[in-house]
Amino acid sequence: MERHLILEDGTVFSGEGFGAPATTFGEVIFDTATSGYQETITNPIYDGQMIVFAMPVVGADGIHAEAYESISPKIRGMIVHDLAEVSTNRQRRMNLDRFLKQYNIPGLYQVDTRKLIRHLRETGSQKATIVDVVDDHARDQLQATVLTNKQVQNTATDKAYSNPGRGFHIIVIDFGLKNGILRVLGDYDANVTVLPYTTSVDEVLTLDPDGIILSTGPGNPEDLPESVLTLIRVLQSKVPMLGIGLGHELFALANHSALTVLPAEYHGMNHPIQEIISQEIFYARQGRGYVVDPEMLDSKRLFVTHRDLVDQSIQGLRHRDFPAFSVQFFPDGAPGPLEAKRVFADFFETVVDYVQKNN
Amino acid sequence: MYKRTTDENLKRILFLGSGETDFGMQGENDAAIYQVLPILKSQGYRLFFVDDNPYSLALESSEAETIVATLTVQSIKSIIKEKQIDAVFPGFAGLRGLRLWHQVIAEWREEDGARPVGLGISDKTLDLLNDSTALFETLSAAGLAMPEATIVRSQSEANELLRDLELPLLVRAHNPAQGTTRRIVRRLDDFEEAVNQVLSQSLTKEAVISKAINGLKEVSLLVLRDKAGNCLQVGASEDMDPIGIHTADSLSVAPILTISDQIVQEMRAQAFLVADILNVQGPVHVQLALNERTGQLYIIKVSPYLDQLSNRMALMTGYPVMLVAAQLATGRRIMDVELPADSYHEKTAMMEPVMDHIVVKLPVFSFGDLKASGIHVNRQLNSIQKSVGSALGFGRTFIEAMEKAIRAAHFNNRSFSPKYMKNVSDDEMIQQLIHPHDNRVLLLLEALRRGYEVDELAELTKIDEFYFYQLKQLLVTEERILDSGPSHEQLAEAKQSGLSDGLLARFWNSNLQNIRTLAKEAGVIPTYKALEPSAGEFPENAHQFFATFEEENESVAVSNHTILLVGSGAFRMGDGAAAGYVTSVALSELRKLGYHTVIMNNNAADASLLPHLSDKQYLEPLETSDVMAVVDQEKPEAILVPGNRRKLIASLLALGQRVIVLPKEKHQPFGPEADESEFALNLFYDGQRAYPLVLTQHQAGEIRLVDQDISGTDLAGIHLDHSGVYQLIWRKKGLNWVKHVDLPDFSVDSWLRPMPFGQIAFLSKLLKISLIRLVVRSWKGGLTENDLGALVAHMPDLRGSDFAMVSDRTDFHLHLQPDAPIDSTRFEMGAKIVRLQED
Repeated sequence: MERHLILEDGTVFSGEGFGAPATTFGEVIFDTATSGYQETITNPIYDGQMIVFAMPVVGADGIHAEAYESISPKIRGMIVHDLAEVSTNRQRRMNLDRFLKQYNIPGLYQVDTRKLIRHLRETGSQKATIVDVVDDHARDQLQATVLTNKQVQNTATDKAYSNPGRGFHIIVIDFGLKNGILRVLGDYDANVTVLPYTTSVDEVLTLDPDGIILSTGPGNPEDLPESVLTLIRVLQSKVPMLGIGLGHELFALANHSALTVLPAEYHGMNHPIQEIISQEIFYARQGRGYVVDPEMLDSKRLFVTHRDLVDQSIQGLRHRDFPAFSVQFFPDGAPGPLEAKRVFADFFETVVDYVQKNN
Repeated sequence: MYKRTTDENLKRILFLGSGETDFGMQGENDAAIYQVLPILKSQGYRLFFVDDNPYSLALESSEAETIVATLTVQSIKSIIKEKQIDAVFPGFAGLRGLRLWHQVIAEWREEDGARPVGLGISDKTLDLLNDSTALFETLSAAGLAMPEATIVRSQSEANELLRDLELPLLVRAHNPAQGTTRRIVRRLDDFEEAVNQVLSQSLTKEAVISKAINGLKEVSLLVLRDKAGNCLQVGASEDMDPIGIHTADSLSVAPILTISDQIVQEMRAQAFLVADILNVQGPVHVQLALNERTGQLYIIKVSPYLDQLSNRMALMTGYPVMLVAAQLATGRRIMDVELPADSYHEKTAMMEPVMDHIVVKLPVFSFGDLKASGIHVNRQLNSIQKSVGSALGFGRTFIEAMEKAIRAAHFNNRSFSPKYMKNVSDDEMIQQLIHPHDNRVLLLLEALRRGYEVDELAELTKIDEFYFYQLKQLLVTEERILDSGPSHEQLAEAKQSGLSDGLLARFWNSNLQNIRTLAKEAGVIPTYKALEPSAGEFPENAHQFFATFEEENESVAVSNHTILLVGSGAFRMGDGAAAGYVTSVALSELRKLGYHTVIMNNNAADASLLPHLSDKQYLEPLETSDVMAVVDQEKPEAILVPGNRRKLIASLLALGQRVIVLPKEKHQPFGPEADESEFALNLFYDGQRAYPLVLTQHQAGEIRLVDQDISGTDLAGIHLDHSGVYQLIWRKKGLNWVKHVDLPDFSVDSWLRPMPFGQIAFLSKLLKISLIRLVVRSWKGGLTENDLGALVAHMPDLRGSDFAMVSDRTDFHLHLQPDAPIDSTRFEMGAKIVRLQED
């Protein structure tokens, strides 16, 4: 059935519906990666967003148990050019279409996605709706809709849980954690405790962590309560800390720096990231709508460790006084290049140092 | 424009050429060298280029001092000394280049003086590549898995191995004389013969025996690495056909569609590791096998040099692989590479290209042409390459890309002829599903038509289910189009699936013109999408486009003074072999004459698609409907078409287009008999008059110039439809190379044919006059006095030559197993220029 995507600026893109026949609202962004559609749509950072895939054929690898970044997708829509209805699942039940139906998420295919991406590149990420009929009602609904700013609340855990291991005790503060981070911590056999972001400093320190990870997550970091920044300020001075994605943005905010909003978000894995100290470049999955403003960086506290060489955006920060650092990109892959995992190696080196000094 | 950032002592670089074209080498190396010479020259290097390939475009480049010489250690050493070469660039000549350079290093003596450095690849890596045991051990030590292999030096050693290893086994030559020879042995009876065969093909008389990994999925990755160790993945493609069919003979698809991100990333990490271990500055092509059940990966081949994948990836992604690779070899880092600002975003070199389109590569086989002349060959696909060329189809869905690839490869849409496979019996079908032939896509379609289940077919063929679902969808589309007859909706669906107007005309018992009219009424007109490496993230000044049927058309007509050139498509045996050379020179000359040029082609190895040779490139099939769609878009003044495309020429003329014909025959009609010589009086026809050039003598596989003045020959009786270079041909018994031959009465004893492209390329090099440039100039209403003067004055001096063109090196027996000898002049794959021995 023909369905439509209406953008806030009034432009309409039409295609065939797949997934659920639902009408939804969300912020539409585009992704240029050519692999990992399942990981992408199940990544909680996309809560409340609609994703346009540059990859023209999506779904040819089916849906796999090992490719979930969270238990259920949080996206509000998926726009592709060609949909492959393939199940390579052993149970032979699940393909991308059925997967989205199950979670009541609409999709559009047979869309001129290249035109749409070129349009978004110029006009910016924006509010949009997927509907059956383009009429005044649909347009009014879109204009009237205020998108939620509670994405972190929607996706982050509100109860502490553990993912036990025999190694270092790592606490993950959950802002909308993706599984990739837990998977890498599992590779290090870390003894992981995941805590809600509302946890108090005392509760965290009582658990006596060897290291703390500020997780990835969706939305605008400035929508989170001030208590989060306080938590970071106290913990960074005591325990090794790694911020990732939203965690990196919060780390910058906690250290008196400011962010800027990107007119068009970048979601992909093809930008070179340079590690400034070694001059080496590598590639990593990125998904960002905000970056640290270089003009507003508190350089008494922080210095830049990584940059994206395409747009010069800050990709890594380190605290001058504490064993705390952060990266804007996703070092866990899932989807994305594995060479970025070196960040975790750095983190565990810091943890080893800390543990040796404090035993 | 460019700053040099490398070692200041390094000033004089010698590029090695790759020699004659052959199976697996269709001129892509030459095109690559031709492409990078200008940028390196502008960075301050003094460039030299040596080759013996008569079809070479780079040998006619003005950016380097070019040398025609046989590619031997001796001649390379003397060039190095004479030209005071500081560095040798072997990797753009492929495996042949690395081998030759390795030999030069091995035979370099103290008295030869200071040895030049090798660019792109270290001496140590060359040693490693030459020693597969050491390579195996090095890669294994780094944790990379490879099918375990043992080297044997004799039949008895091989037999010993049989005690430990189970069939099937893969038997291949260690250090093969050319290409890769691989035999899969399934039955004990075949083992001895296979071992014997590969032993004889090995330069070191060694065979490598390993467990066969048939049926696994084959994937190719292309990685670039710089001096500092930074790696970038240019792209990856998957073969539809499983391992067991040579990758050149496989249908392959980019980007990867059917493999999960986790495995894709693991393959990337392994490919980067290989690049690091080999310490390469430039491209590495890593081939991997994937066992999907276990997730196990095997490295099956590493190629740290430029090969067909490099050119194909460059064309498929829009990423300038060659321009980057050449600069990496001279020592720049990826982020310091510079690119022409008029064609690329300033950050293009360091961004990994991403594709927002699908490209299907389809191999082109020569079986039909051979059969037409009574030669039967083994058509069953296996691990030895049988295809001679390949064509690409670009689309936004797999089916669209595949249909366009089929049309590009065959100039027609055979897959849709419902009768085509009807005669195959069920038994034959199962046989061919297991042991596929060149027509396997049609066979798969027919099997689906007969009701075979997808999982059953996937099991029999080891082809991913995705492809069967796609083909099934195509069958449904086909039935709907046939049943419902012409309508706007059906037309739109058909065009989105990549079908041509000509095919629809056949389906609907209509004609091309009616279909075009219907399409215009229905608004079903192609939208051209730019082919650029950022997938829409950045505005790129793209010059490459492909057609699809969506909403936005990104192509804007170049100018109102444009000539459209229809390329020759896939590499083919015979006179197609030098087609890339001819088209490229024509493009270059048209530009010099002030025209804007637009080229349509689909062969990644063809130099005519190099971005700097034309104003715009359309990566399209070359049927009438594709050409007319581009004509509607660009409104060219004239369309230049090779003379063998008779149907296309006729239909373009019928549609009121101005067509310029580039005279060409499909093959040389037939070569001289075993005991006779063929003579050719080569002539230039400028549209009004014929001018004699030189006299040549041909025997099977060889051409020489006759030392005889023919400048006074009266050719006044010759009147032709098209200007061009032609030959008056006659034959005589006898195999002596003559110093003089009596000219026959041309009106009775000879016949006229267009000069074969290969000979045009050869003679242009010997005469030091580009014949194709003259032909192009003649289209503007005859040659100028200057040109004619040069032509006429020049010829008497050049009537004899030390050089001959020899084309007898192709190992047809290995690749095709023909039942009769194949005439290497007529079914030419490649040729080399040979300096005649002084007697």
